[in-house]
Amino acid sequence: MTDPRRQRRIWYAVGGVLIVAFLAFGATSFKSNLTPYVSIEEAMRRPAKVQVKGSLVPDSTEYVEASQQLRFGLADGQGNTMPVLYAGTKPGNFEEATEIVAVGSYRNGAFHADQLLVKCPSKYQGLDEDPTKHASET
Amino acid sequence: MNIRELLKWVLLLWMGLVIWAAFLYVPPADKFVGESSRIVFFHVPMAWIAVLAFLISCVASVLYLRRREPRHDIRAAVAAGLGLLFAILATVTGAVFARIMWGAYWNWDPRQTSIVILMVIYAAYFALRGAVPDPERRAALAAVYAILAFVTVPFLVFVVPRIYWSLHPDTIINTRGSNEFDSRHTQVLMASLAGFTGLFVWFYTIGCRVEAIRRRRQQEAL
Repeated sequence: MTDPRRQRRIWYAVGGVLIVAFLAFGATSFKSNLTPYVSIEEAMRRPAKVQVKGSLVPDSTEYVEASQQLRFGLADGQGNTMPVLYAGTKPGNFEEATEIVAVGSYRNGAFHADQLLVKCPSKYQGLDEDPTKHASET
Repeated sequence: MNIRELLKWVLLLWMGLVIWAAFLYVPPADKFVGESSRIVFFHVPMAWIAVLAFLISCVASVLYLRRREPRHDIRAAVAAGLGLLFAILATVTGAVFARIMWGAYWNWDPRQTSIVILMVIYAAYFALRGAVPDPERRAALAAVYAILAFVTVPFLVFVVPRIYWSLHPDTIINTRGSNEFDSRHTQVLMASLAGFTGLFVWFYTIGCRVEAIRRRRQQEAL
């Protein structure tokens, strides 16, 4: 047992096991807790404040004058849609969004959002190649 | 003028060119708010340097455990410190971009959560170093910790953002295997990556020299 080479080999083994254990721990413990975004289905099921992600239903955006709210449809890939109401100002890049995260809660048949987060297509391509798209930049 | 002196000037010129190109040579990318797409030329290299520095810290730690030479301990510590610094810079630039594009500085997006975990892991490395007074024990313990810490890096930096849906723009090496960068963006990003790598090498060599001098003076004082 006092042979240093043998001892060293034991330490290598312990180190290897530790590394694998770290990896396994990381993989399992983060899997459920790492993302704050829930599906539309889940958001409609519980009234708690959640972050829902989805895509904008094309041409569904309208401004409700009476309540001064922005109203639009949010869809996921599985065919679920839900109406979203938002009282703040519309994010500048709202129309270009590929995906939207609405922060709020679902009640009375609509999702009331306190905040909208916007994901845009990440194409690092210059405006020069298609100047027509550069119309309403402020 | 020796070669080191010359390289410094080359680096200065190169970084100057990169900054000029990032703001004036490349047009703002389509569909990004205003000029926000330009941050990619600084944010991505910072993240790259953080990963590179953590890798160097891990390699130096392995070398320390095998050879027990203090210089490897110095290298590991300096690299980890720079890695942490660049991780913080990447996080800050990312938060600025998030404010502009997503609408909030911080949202505990998977990307943001994973980088925070990574920074905490490396902050603990310095807490560990600070807690062990005996230099040889400190070096050995820190080396083991740095190796374990690096195990999480590929997972937190590369795997997590690809498993979870995130507001973060697609990375350069993305799951769809497509390149979203046009030629000018690619040129400047590559130049910036090279420039930042040069900057890191410079910081790193200075850091190692300073730390070696500091230790020598400490020993002389005893």
